[in-house]
Amino acid sequence: MVRRADLTQALTLAALVVLGLMTLFSTSRADFASQVGGVAAGLLLYVAAAAFDYRRLQPAAPYLYGLALLLLITVEVAGHTAYGAQRWMRVAGLQVEPSEIAKLLVLVALAAFLARRETAGRREVLMLGVLGLPPTLLVLYQPDLGTAIVFASLLLGLLFLAGAPRLVLASILAGVAVAVPLLPHLLRGYQRQRLQIFLDPSQDPLGAGYNLIQARIAVGSGGIFGQGWLHGLQGQLGYIPERTSDFVFAVYAEEFGLLGSLLLLGLFTILLYRVARAAAVAPDRFGFLLCAGAAVILFTQVVQNIGMNVGLTPIAGIPLPFISHGRSALLTYLVMLGLVQSVVLRRPLVSPGPAGRVPLTESGTIRLPV
Amino acid sequence: MVEAARPRWNGRLLAGGLVVLLVVSTLTVRLVQLQIGQHQQLAAAGVETRVHRVVLEADRGVVYDRHGVRLAGNAPAWALSMLPAALPANAVARQSELAQVARLAGVAEPSLGQLLLKAPDLYLPVTVKSGLSAEQSQAIAERLPQLPGFQLDQTPLRTYADWEDFGHVLGYTNRLDSDEYARLKNLGYLPDDTAGKAGVEAGLEVLLRGRNGWADVETNAAGLPMRTLAQDPPVAGDSVYLSIDAGLQQAVGQYLREGIQSAGVRAGAAIVVDPRDGELLALVSAPSYDPNQFAAGISAAAYQRLLQDPAKPLYDRALAGLYPPGSTFKMITAAAGLQDGKIGADSVLPCPAGITYGGWTYRNWAGYDMGQMNVEKAIAVSCDTFFYRVADSVGDMSLAAYARDFGYGSAPIFEIPGAQAGLVPDEAWQAAQCQATEAPGCRWNPGETLTMGIGQSALLTSPLIQAMYVSAIANGGTLLQPTVVSQVRTPGGRVAATAQAKPVSTVPVSPANLEVVREGMRQCLQAPYGTGFLFRNDRFKYDGGCKTGSAQYGGSGTDLPLHAWFTFFSPYDHPEIAIVVLVEGGGEGHDTAEPVAVKIADYYYSHRAQILGTQS
Repeated sequence: MVRRADLTQALTLAALVVLGLMTLFSTSRADFASQVGGVAAGLLLYVAAAAFDYRRLQPAAPYLYGLALLLLITVEVAGHTAYGAQRWMRVAGLQVEPSEIAKLLVLVALAAFLARRETAGRREVLMLGVLGLPPTLLVLYQPDLGTAIVFASLLLGLLFLAGAPRLVLASILAGVAVAVPLLPHLLRGYQRQRLQIFLDPSQDPLGAGYNLIQARIAVGSGGIFGQGWLHGLQGQLGYIPERTSDFVFAVYAEEFGLLGSLLLLGLFTILLYRVARAAAVAPDRFGFLLCAGAAVILFTQVVQNIGMNVGLTPIAGIPLPFISHGRSALLTYLVMLGLVQSVVLRRPLVSPGPAGRVPLTESGTIRLPV
Repeated sequence: MVEAARPRWNGRLLAGGLVVLLVVSTLTVRLVQLQIGQHQQLAAAGVETRVHRVVLEADRGVVYDRHGVRLAGNAPAWALSMLPAALPANAVARQSELAQVARLAGVAEPSLGQLLLKAPDLYLPVTVKSGLSAEQSQAIAERLPQLPGFQLDQTPLRTYADWEDFGHVLGYTNRLDSDEYARLKNLGYLPDDTAGKAGVEAGLEVLLRGRNGWADVETNAAGLPMRTLAQDPPVAGDSVYLSIDAGLQQAVGQYLREGIQSAGVRAGAAIVVDPRDGELLALVSAPSYDPNQFAAGISAAAYQRLLQDPAKPLYDRALAGLYPPGSTFKMITAAAGLQDGKIGADSVLPCPAGITYGGWTYRNWAGYDMGQMNVEKAIAVSCDTFFYRVADSVGDMSLAAYARDFGYGSAPIFEIPGAQAGLVPDEAWQAAQCQATEAPGCRWNPGETLTMGIGQSALLTSPLIQAMYVSAIANGGTLLQPTVVSQVRTPGGRVAATAQAKPVSTVPVSPANLEVVREGMRQCLQAPYGTGFLFRNDRFKYDGGCKTGSAQYGGSGTDLPLHAWFTFFSPYDHPEIAIVVLVEGGGEGHDTAEPVAVKIADYYYSHRAQILGTQS
């Protein structure tokens, strides 16, 4: 069974986790130590998720969806505030970020819903919108713009990959294009401020603009070869804000330079390719959508995070998968990729032979061509 | 053998892949742009963010008296500074913190906001207040953990001993204002810098200041220094040993204040000088101010109080106060008459109660005829009518020239800034005045020559000019440059400079004629008829010469107020001190100025060995 697993995915993942731990070690020993615990637990969950038959999730989807909403409502009621947003809560002494876990739950729910039919017609588009809106609005209300962006991308990405009609997709995109200019008016105070400062960082060099400027300085200071591991001064001396979470990439880029940045970008690209490939080999539509959605989530997070670190996208608190400190996020991504492995493990097989490729059933018995 | 089914890439997956490639390419381009294209610029910005050139302040030189008694030094003190970058980013939190600090440090809240706005570099600490009181620094230290962006630094505070007696001599240091900074920045001064503003502190700024050093310090984001990358250590300023004797200065200050008080007036000045080399042993202007107030950063209210005090405590009367010399000028009139051959040592002239000249009556101070007398006695009894005649025969131009020879009319070159020139009137001066004012009928009134002969007319002199004039008579005719510095030593203790007598000129009066004048002054002190009669008591056993003066001021009239002068030198043969005392509006010289001089001379002779003792 192990021989059928996607080893490339696992190795890429391992490389990313190691780079993440190295970066955390360089900036905060405390965060590094807690992340090591997360990695240990995550690897167990990763293997467990791979062994678990992802298809058994499909019937449970409505409950998982309900759980996601429950988590998001609970954090709103009982959560703690960080950077002006209610993001995390304490469960059995551990800090938990429900919006991270909700990403996986919503993904499973939406994939399961879309998998009920072979195509995505207008009814599915409408229903998906109805299902996607509550969690998106709940995280927006926290307010957590980053996770809201992830949910929105997931909705759009799933619709696109599930085969929604082009006309429908085009009108949704047109709607988004109209809504974006209105965004500053809909956002809460600090989010609007962040957006404005993204447009002009010098507006507030002491406050939010400081983050952008310092991140850019750190990335640029890296040069081609980087300042060397443990030797990125902007990061070491604390000039990079939130340097173990949102701006961990700036720390990484300062220490490992352009070569390191491209290595990281390359690893993420390989990972995305492996997840997309898992979608392409998935034995059923649920598996396909699960993998495709996982790719969309990963892609959105990586682009949004690195984008804001290099000043291409606005600051919206979003962790860089596998690199940023945060056990909830790390566990979520590892379980998600474990489920992708589960899809890969259960892909149909063929045996070479004169008769051509013959699909194998999952139990391994060969259905002979008649 | 089985193998995996081939992946079924549908169109939309491939389209998604294309989007991923596009976005990843965009990020790659951006990374190349930042990490190669803008690398140098951003790395430099990083260095600028974390490395700051801090000034290593040079210790200011210490000022001692002639025997090494410390008069101005540097005491350890606390200063509050602010690092703008480390202040709370939240505007509301920042405002409330600034308000709290303003209250704790006793500074105005708006000025704190101003400092923040003017900060040239967010990572460069700005001094909020230096010289915090013990209570203030303690109150701030307790709350410092809750005040991000503020720190207490130990910075030396200039402290001055016994300000009542030394205020004007020492002067003070103070923070530069923007005009002064604009003028001094090329000399290495910083916007936040202090410099001597008055007294020796200002005059010897170049010596005392030393040279600041710098260090390039790498700080973390909280503003804590992590390591020093490069530095140039500071060089401390030179130490200055004044010619002033601290004990004598304090005695002079006390006697002068007592004299001023008993005369019922506000102000005065007194100088003790060594006529052999021009070194000042005491230099006092009363009232004084407290330089310590300025060193710690004087409040606007306190400064206004000093400015508006009717006694003008900031005004150094010893150097800058200008007064008619009155009868103390008569030695010059006598010397001029003798040297020009208008009178001889033996010439005997009457001393009537008044003489008539040009239709006006010019009176003697005594309302009776004092009889016939030679020039020596005329000096001793201060006969006005005698000197009217002498002045008339000498003429205004020649008399003015002799006055200038004795130092009148030009500001002495002196270490302490602010010495004034005074005024010597004559026909040429009057003509220039008339040309300027274009007043009808304006011309030199010959009667002015007469009154100039007794130190009136438009004559103006300062106590310092008087001191050098008396010294020139005492030392046999050498006009010296006054000095208040006896020695300069480097921080290592090496003697960099020692004061030497600097003659300005030799007075064009023959030794024989000058001896006549000196004899007149001796009689003033010792003859039964001399006006310096207060010296003729049992305790004072030393000889010398003196001259009283009661100078009229305030315009014309019969009952004009008088400035009390007293000039003195001793001993007669080889004079080693000259004393000048002025009591502003003090009345008769022998009433108010002379008692002060008697006490000073007493003090000098009872502490002579100490005062003249070798320097430590």
